[in-house]
Amino acid sequence: MKVTPDIIRHEFIGTEGKIAKSPHADYVGINGEVIDETKNTFTILHTGKAKSVVKNSAVFNFKFSDGTIVEIDGKLLVGRPEDRLKKTVKRLW
Amino acid sequence: MKSAAKQIARQRIQLLFQQAKTVYRDNPQLSSRYVATARKIAMAARIPLPTVHKRQACKNCNTLLVQGENCRVRIRQKREPHVVITCLSCGCKTRIPLKKKREKTKLERDNYQNETSC
Repeated sequence: MKVTPDIIRHEFIGTEGKIAKSPHADYVGINGEVIDETKNTFTILHTGKAKSVVKNSAVFNFKFSDGTIVEIDGKLLVGRPEDRLKKTVKRLW
Repeated sequence: MKSAAKQIARQRIQLLFQQAKTVYRDNPQLSSRYVATARKIAMAARIPLPTVHKRQACKNCNTLLVQGENCRVRIRQKREPHVVITCLSCGCKTRIPLKKKREKTKLERDNYQNETSC
């Protein structure tokens, strides 16, 4: 899978998610399958329990089905799944 | 909208329906949520839902239709031959006509050309 800025428009349900950074120390390290998505949260199945994590304040590591791991700032992912389709990211550097 | 976004939308729809299928046994509610998102994505990108997936989803309550499980498929002959898919969770019926639209015969085509020429 090619990693481009278009990755923020991709589907995250079904991928393996892991929280790399968060202001809340207990959230760091939650990992498992992403089972749901809303405008502001991801729901991750962590050891059998569904944990909802706020997108805006966390940094995620997503592992896609073909094995590529991508680190994405959650701030870029805010938005309903169908609205994220039209989102574009400005160059940050 | 750019064609790149439409391509992504098509991919996402396929992925979501795959997920909905795997999850359906354990959690039918979650699977219907996936179907709803997939349909919303199709609407937002302004692309038609692929025919395969269109027949797997209930338009009324967004459940994933699994034959022999939560939907009834019948062939009916009234008015014109058609297939009726009934969703057993909400009772919504979908009709699929079986007759293709008749193409114009050669005679009709020729007549049309004659009319336009003069």
